[in-house]
Amino acid sequence: MSKPETVPRGSPLHYLMLTLLATSCLLPLVIMTMTSLKTEAQIFDSQWSWLFAPTLDNYRSVVQDNHIERYMLNSLKVSLAATLITLMLGTMCAYAMARFRFLGREPLSYSTLILRTLPPAVLAVPVFVIWSAWGIGDTLSGVVLVYVALNLPFTIWLLYGFIDQLPIELEEAAAIDGCGPFKVFYKIVLPLLKPGLAAAAIFTFRLAWNEFILSFILTNRITRTLPASISNYITDTGVEWGKIMAAGVLIALPPLIFTFVAAKQIITGLTAGAVKG
Amino acid sequence: MTSARLARLTPYIYILPAVLVMLAGLMYPILSAVQLSFYDWSLGTDFETARFVGVDAFVEMLKSEQVWTSMGITVAFVLIAVSAELVLGVSLALFLEKPVRGMRFFRTIFVLPMMIAPICVGLIWRYLFDANFGPVNHAVSWLGLSPQAWLADPVLAFTAMVVTDIWQWTPFVLIMVLAGLQGLDESVMEAARIDGANWWQQIVRVKLPILKPILIVTLLARMIDGFRGLEVIYVMTFGGPGLSTELFSLHIFKAAFISQKLGYSSALSILLLVIVSALSIAILLISNPLKAKARR
Amino acid sequence: MKRRQLLQGAAASAALGPWVHTLAQDRYAKYKGQTIVVNYPAHPHYDQAEKLFAEFTAETGIKVERDKMQYLRMKDKQVLEMGKRGNGDYDVAVYVVMWKTEYVKKDLLEPLDGYFSNKALADPTWDQKDIIGKYWETNALVGGPKMYLPGPGARPYGIPFGAETGVLAYRTDILEKHKIAVPKTYNELLAACRVIKDKEGIGGLTSRGQTGHQVTAAWLLHLTPNGGEVFDSNWRAAFNNAQGVRAAEILKEIVDTGPAGIPSYGFGEMQNAFLQGQAAMYLDSVAIMGPVQDPAKSRIAGKVAYAVHPKGTQHSAQSGGFAMAIPKNARNKDAAFLFMQWMTSKQADLKIAMSGGNINRWSTLDNADVGKKYALELPALRESLKIANPDWRPLIPEWDHISQQIIGQALPDVITGRKPAKQALDAAVKAAEDAVRQGGWLKS
Repeated sequence: MSKPETVPRGSPLHYLMLTLLATSCLLPLVIMTMTSLKTEAQIFDSQWSWLFAPTLDNYRSVVQDNHIERYMLNSLKVSLAATLITLMLGTMCAYAMARFRFLGREPLSYSTLILRTLPPAVLAVPVFVIWSAWGIGDTLSGVVLVYVALNLPFTIWLLYGFIDQLPIELEEAAAIDGCGPFKVFYKIVLPLLKPGLAAAAIFTFRLAWNEFILSFILTNRITRTLPASISNYITDTGVEWGKIMAAGVLIALPPLIFTFVAAKQIITGLTAGAVKG
Repeated sequence: MTSARLARLTPYIYILPAVLVMLAGLMYPILSAVQLSFYDWSLGTDFETARFVGVDAFVEMLKSEQVWTSMGITVAFVLIAVSAELVLGVSLALFLEKPVRGMRFFRTIFVLPMMIAPICVGLIWRYLFDANFGPVNHAVSWLGLSPQAWLADPVLAFTAMVVTDIWQWTPFVLIMVLAGLQGLDESVMEAARIDGANWWQQIVRVKLPILKPILIVTLLARMIDGFRGLEVIYVMTFGGPGLSTELFSLHIFKAAFISQKLGYSSALSILLLVIVSALSIAILLISNPLKAKARR
Repeated sequence: MKRRQLLQGAAASAALGPWVHTLAQDRYAKYKGQTIVVNYPAHPHYDQAEKLFAEFTAETGIKVERDKMQYLRMKDKQVLEMGKRGNGDYDVAVYVVMWKTEYVKKDLLEPLDGYFSNKALADPTWDQKDIIGKYWETNALVGGPKMYLPGPGARPYGIPFGAETGVLAYRTDILEKHKIAVPKTYNELLAACRVIKDKEGIGGLTSRGQTGHQVTAAWLLHLTPNGGEVFDSNWRAAFNNAQGVRAAEILKEIVDTGPAGIPSYGFGEMQNAFLQGQAAMYLDSVAIMGPVQDPAKSRIAGKVAYAVHPKGTQHSAQSGGFAMAIPKNARNKDAAFLFMQWMTSKQADLKIAMSGGNINRWSTLDNADVGKKYALELPALRESLKIANPDWRPLIPEWDHISQQIIGQALPDVITGRKPAKQALDAAVKAAEDAVRQGGWLKS
């Protein structure tokens, strides 16, 4: 493997390829943003123009007429809660799986690996029925519960991989020093897990923030989350493209920010286990 | 409680909350879906009025032309999109595998498409493919070809669906393969070169076999995602025209909330569950991360 | 004798005046401060109606919370809400007429006769006879013959609001340019489409075509005027007979000569194609009339005239649209009724019509200001109301399923040219008859 100091400059062809790829990744997103800044007349113009006078009317409209700030707040609450709870429960569970031998360890491990891939469509009807029966049908808590349940298998498995990589000597040393098991977990393991926690947090937040189908079924007009509110702009007079793209930009912003801030963690999360397994 | 007792109970305490949540949020609904599939229950009525119909829903499902069509469309979509993504992803990775300056920046951009909400992706591409105002048609006419009504024609709509998936997930495959290639030992490549292998042989005989595990995992992961796909197509075409883009997850959703047949849609979702679980188990058998760790 | 009674009446009401006004205030007094939740579609009529919500609250003290949705997705949400035990979220639910029998069959709606005869709530000036008869019959009544037609057993479950019939709108400039007479029959219509497509290069007639409910609605428009029906009097499938096939072939012809993309068109895209000048003619709901005159939406203001739905073997125009109803599990039913009554009163209907919404009442239709604003549209509207046909589609509870999942899945193959009409419709017969058999209509 090349040493970091001697990372060479690539050939022009190499960079051309990279640029083409990057453009094709970015272009649709750029177009979405452009459309959110256009007026209805500009959108329906039969000529395409890259240059136009941008307007913030669509954003103004979705805030004033459609109360988008309410949906954004709901999405934020749900995503943060789901991420925190998933991390807490998932880390503890992954630690137990990695460091202890207990009854049911194998079945639990295999279950999390299979449940990782559960299609949300399978959950849609039963969760609606059951959540209504339990009285959490239109609540944010109900949405958080199903998001945590959906995210736990992947999070557990991801963190399991990270914990497994940690040298057990550190924990053994701490135990000899007299630390109880919980203290070992809290003071030794958790700090070392930061990259894994970051990756897990990003994935959980992304799933909770982006998810549409379950939140569409499980929320009403007060608890509706941002993606579920998209359908407000698909009206009888066609799709209100300007407004719906504005909402789309708002939905896309947090994941975009995450990506730029923490791309490395995301890639680590994706490839963990796949390469080493 | 003695510390030994506590030590023995510790793992159970650690796993309990997570297990409870997964039981309540995943297992219980799945079991309910199984139970519901034996009833004929219409949305908006009390469960007491639902009729027990045994396996009627499954029989109806297996006899339904729409179910087979939808399944066929989903399988076709998965095979075509995933193959294209693998071929593209691997080719690009092989071409770009040399680490160059600025690679981190590009890699960040490549992560973007898969982080965007599926519903945004569906929205953007629905607009791009719009027959009258979409940029795709603008580009097509600029190239001198005739603009198409993309989402109005069965074959073109299916193509649009595939193109959207390729756009969103090829970068993912690229990243995975690049990561896999990084584990490649230079000395193995040296040995191959000394042995006189040309670039094609180097790829086929050295690189691809090493990439095999990650390729298979990626392939199966993409296939599973294909079967789970719902949100993109919900907003892009809602299954139309006809059934030409009716992915199976969408068919389940429509059976539940449009036809309002909760029992029948549960039967459909059991079928989907079986298929996806089979694929998951396949991943496990081929590349079992637990067994690998147990070997240590 | 008459004159004296008139004078006496006038004197009496003058004396009663303030007292009658107070009575009106009393009607709302009990509900002041309550909040009702209204679920309604994103539709041009309701866009105008929304503007009156603040006025309603100012006059009555009842606050209005809005839940506006895409109209085809409303049903899922409404059924979920109205099916809940305990209270549902909605006090007023707006239904599309297609769902009325299903909702009543599932016992989700309050019958309204009790409210109309409740002296404490009912507005004596409301005047049910003033509501356009065809709209009342189609949108409000459930329980009569075949469950959806007026007649013995029919009771009102909703108040028509945003009701509509069908009309032919055409570009006067284009028809004149190519010397085409205003089409009165289907043959003339299709010939005009051909000419416009070939010579003008734009679509002839815009149409819905999206898989499911939309393409079925488009086909139905041409079914009854050509003598067809969906089911015969014994509830056997009749949509695959000669007339049904003819209607499907007419639709295919319209798609072939229409603007690009019809097979993906919902109501909005269809309307837009006409308003943006991509099609020369429009044959669907009268909801087009307001937007045509709106410069923010339309490029063709001033170039449009209207005519009656063309004749095949008979005249038959669509009738339908929306109505407001009270869910059985609503929290504030009385306040909901007061809201519905107020929004459909003579004054409100007039205001909504003047700002571009649909006309629900004869008094609005005959009003001088409305006549001036819609001088061009009203003659065609009156004629269309005469031929509006409440039986242009079978609104049985099973209809939504048949329209979306059975016929709505068969027709796309016809309009994209993949299957001949007869073959596609024949293939749908079994599923359709199974559906009506399950509903108890077809006894075999």
